[in-house]
Amino acid sequence: MHTVLTRGNATVAYSLSVLACLTFCCFLSTVFLDYRTDANISTVRVLVKNVPDYGASREKHDLGFVTFDLETNLTSIFNWNVKQLFLYLTAEYQSPTNQLNQVVLWDKIILRGQNAVLDFKNMNTKYYFWDDGNGLKDNRNVSLYLSWNIIPNAGLLPSVQATGRHLFKFPAEYASNI
Amino acid sequence: MLDIQTHMDFVGQAKAERWSRLIITVFGVIGLIYGAVVQQFSQTVYVLGVGFLLSALITIPPWPIYRRNPMKWQKPVLTDQKTKDPKTKDQKTKTSDSSDEKEKKKKK
Repeated sequence: MHTVLTRGNATVAYSLSVLACLTFCCFLSTVFLDYRTDANISTVRVLVKNVPDYGASREKHDLGFVTFDLETNLTSIFNWNVKQLFLYLTAEYQSPTNQLNQVVLWDKIILRGQNAVLDFKNMNTKYYFWDDGNGLKDNRNVSLYLSWNIIPNAGLLPSVQATGRHLFKFPAEYASNI
Repeated sequence: MLDIQTHMDFVGQAKAERWSRLIITVFGVIGLIYGAVVQQFSQTVYVLGVGFLLSALITIPPWPIYRRNPMKWQKPVLTDQKTKDPKTKDQKTKTSDSSDEKEKKKKK
């Protein structure tokens, strides 16, 4: 502490140590919070088509067409350690070839400060609902659920699943109009 | 010439370090509480930044208040002339050396 430079160095180093400590306190204050919330999802229109999958094998695979309603209030999730939410809607089902299929149909980013009260009607999916075979036609048990990643200032990057889940079934016939 | 003192005495150095730690810690705690209340971590960082600036202003420059306890040096011991003589000789040789060097530079 005998020169300006050593005192400056000590001040900067101690400030950064305190900053790290405060960041850790911020992390500790939010790490045990329960980020689960209810989400109401329902399907409006459900079709399945059998079309060539040029993105993969060029063989004819099942392609689902789903429009959905989504209603949820995520305002309570935001706190001082949440910068943004990454929402994604997953369809989960079992097919003859796979025990578990999970397809992400839609996603959305909500920044802190933006409106987190969501009420979407008759939404189209953002991504194709491809099956890797013919597992969608006449599938009686497909579930849709909403999940979100929490992007924090400091700490863990949890993936949280909403409590609501919507079950629907695909029709037994392919839609003729492509 | 102006006689500007730029040192801190030992007591002053200890005082400066203690104040710097205290100011930054207090501002950090205030910032944490304020940030938690308004739920904005950026506010916490800004408050800590204010603490850093204040601490830097108060404790980094060698202010006169850190020079209030000067060292008590021993009184200089009087030495006899024999010891002084070689010093003067040394100085002379040094000056001659430096003049030699200057001459060499000129030659170059």
